[in-house]
Amino acid sequence: MKRLATALTAILVLAFLVSPAFAGKIEDIKKRGTLVAGVKDSQPPFGYVDEKTNQIVGFEIDIMKFLADKLGVKLDVKAVTSSTRIPMLTQGEVDIVAATMTHKKDREGQIDFSITYFMTGQRLLVKKGGPIKSVKDLASKKIGSVKGSTSEQNAKKAEPTATIVSFETYPEAFLALKQGKVEAVTTDEAILVGLKYSDEKPEAWDIVGDYISPEPYGFGLIENDSKFRDFVNVSLMEMWESGEYKKVYDKWFGKDTKNYIPLTWTMELWP
Amino acid sequence: MHWDVVWNNFDYFLWGAYPKGPLGGLAMSILMALGGIFGAFWLGLLIGVCRLSKRVWLRAPAMVYIEIIRGTPLLMVIFWFYFLAPVIMGKSLPDWQSAIIALIVFTSAYIAEIVRAGVLSLPKGQMEAARGSGLSHVQTMIYIILPQALFNMIPSFVNQFVSLTKDTSLAYIIGVSELTKTATQVNSRTMKAPFEIFITVAALYFLVCFVLTELSRRLETKINRYQARGR
Repeated sequence: MKRLATALTAILVLAFLVSPAFAGKIEDIKKRGTLVAGVKDSQPPFGYVDEKTNQIVGFEIDIMKFLADKLGVKLDVKAVTSSTRIPMLTQGEVDIVAATMTHKKDREGQIDFSITYFMTGQRLLVKKGGPIKSVKDLASKKIGSVKGSTSEQNAKKAEPTATIVSFETYPEAFLALKQGKVEAVTTDEAILVGLKYSDEKPEAWDIVGDYISPEPYGFGLIENDSKFRDFVNVSLMEMWESGEYKKVYDKWFGKDTKNYIPLTWTMELWP
Repeated sequence: MHWDVVWNNFDYFLWGAYPKGPLGGLAMSILMALGGIFGAFWLGLLIGVCRLSKRVWLRAPAMVYIEIIRGTPLLMVIFWFYFLAPVIMGKSLPDWQSAIIALIVFTSAYIAEIVRAGVLSLPKGQMEAARGSGLSHVQTMIYIILPQALFNMIPSFVNQFVSLTKDTSLAYIIGVSELTKTATQVNSRTMKAPFEIFITVAALYFLVCFVLTELSRRLETKINRYQARGR
C-alpha cells in the first residue's frame, strides 16, 4: 500500500511538472482573441450570477473587462473555486485568476501575483448588541468559518481557546450564526459586508473588531511571464490614476450600493 | 418563506444561462447522467467480462482497474481526471466532458462487479450445455449467458444508475454548472432562501431518479413475461 501511495504521488507530481509550456501570455491571448479569466461565481459583489441575465457579473469581472478591452480581445469568464483556481492557472486553463485571492508569500512558489487591486482585512460578523466586541470575547466560544480558508487559521491563532467550526461556504456559516450554532463568523470584511446586507434585516448584524489580519487581494498570474505581469500591473495603475478604478469600485462598493465599503486604501503606484 | 426566490430563478435551475450562455442546471445534470449511464454500461460490461476471463492478461488488468477505482472517492476521480487529462491527452477537455468521463470510469468499475456476480449466479450447466452444442466461448457469452445474466442484474444496474445520477452533483468541484452548482450560485447571491432553494433541488433530483426507477420497473415487467422461471 505504501509503495502504491509513493507511485501515485510520483504520478501526480509529474503531472504538475509537465504543465504545458507557453510562449508569452499576451501573444497567446491575442492569437486566441479572448482573455480567459478565472473568477468566482458565488461571491457577491466580486463575482456572481446576475438574476436577470444569468451571466457572471461583478467587481472583478469589470476589471477583467478593462484588461480585455486594452488588449483588444473579448473577455471569457470561467468559474473557479478556491481549490481549483491555482491548478487551473498553472495548467493554462485560464490566463489570469481574479477570485478574491489573498496575496500570500507561501503562494508565491506556485504562481505570481499582480499588485494589490483590493484591500480588506479579516473581521468578525456578530449579532448586534451582543457580548462580542472583539476576537478576545470569543474565548472558548464557537466561531464559524470556511474549510481550508486562511481565515480559519488566523482566527485560531488570534484566539486559541475558541473552537472553529468550518463550513463549506460562507452563507452556511452565516446560517449557523443565525441559528445560534456559532457566536461569530469570521472572514474578510468585504465578504462579511456582502453577507450582512444579503440578509433581510441587515441592521440585526454588526461587523466588529480590529483587523485580525490584512488581506490584500492580487490577481493570480502564471510564473515567470513578466511581460504579462507588467501589462496587468500598469493597467491597474492606469485605472487608478484615470479614475476608472473609482468608478468601478463605486459601482459595486459605493454609497448607493448595499455593499458599502468606504475606499480607504491607496494603490501602490510606481513612479 | 421565500418561494419567490426559487420561482424567479427556476429557469436558471432548469437550463442555466442557456440560450444566452452555456447549458447548465438540471439539463446539464441529466445530460451528464445519460452520458455516464451509457458509457458506464458498455465499459463496465467489457471490463466485467474481462474480469471473468480465464486468460490472465485479460483478467489481471480488469481486476487492478476495479480495485483501484473502487478504492478511490469519486470526488478525487473527478478532480484528478480534470487535471490529468491535459497531461495524458495533450489537450484540456471542457469541464463537463471530463466530468462525464470520470463518471463513466468510476461507475464502470461497479458495473463490472455486477456483471461478474450476474454471470456467476447462473447455473454452470448453461455454459456447459451451450459449449456442448458447439458454440464457442465468446458466442456462448453473447447469446446464452449475458442475455440471462443481464436481466438478473437490472435491479443492481438501476441502483448504480440512480447513484450516478445523484453523483453528477459532485462535478461542481471542477466548476460544471449543473443543478447543485446553480443552486449554490443563487443561494450565495440571495442568501435569504437556502431552505427553499435546496428543497427544490432535492425535489428535482428525486424526480429524475424516480422516473429512472419507474422506467426500469416497467422494463422489468415487460421482460419478465419472456423469462423462464425456476430451475
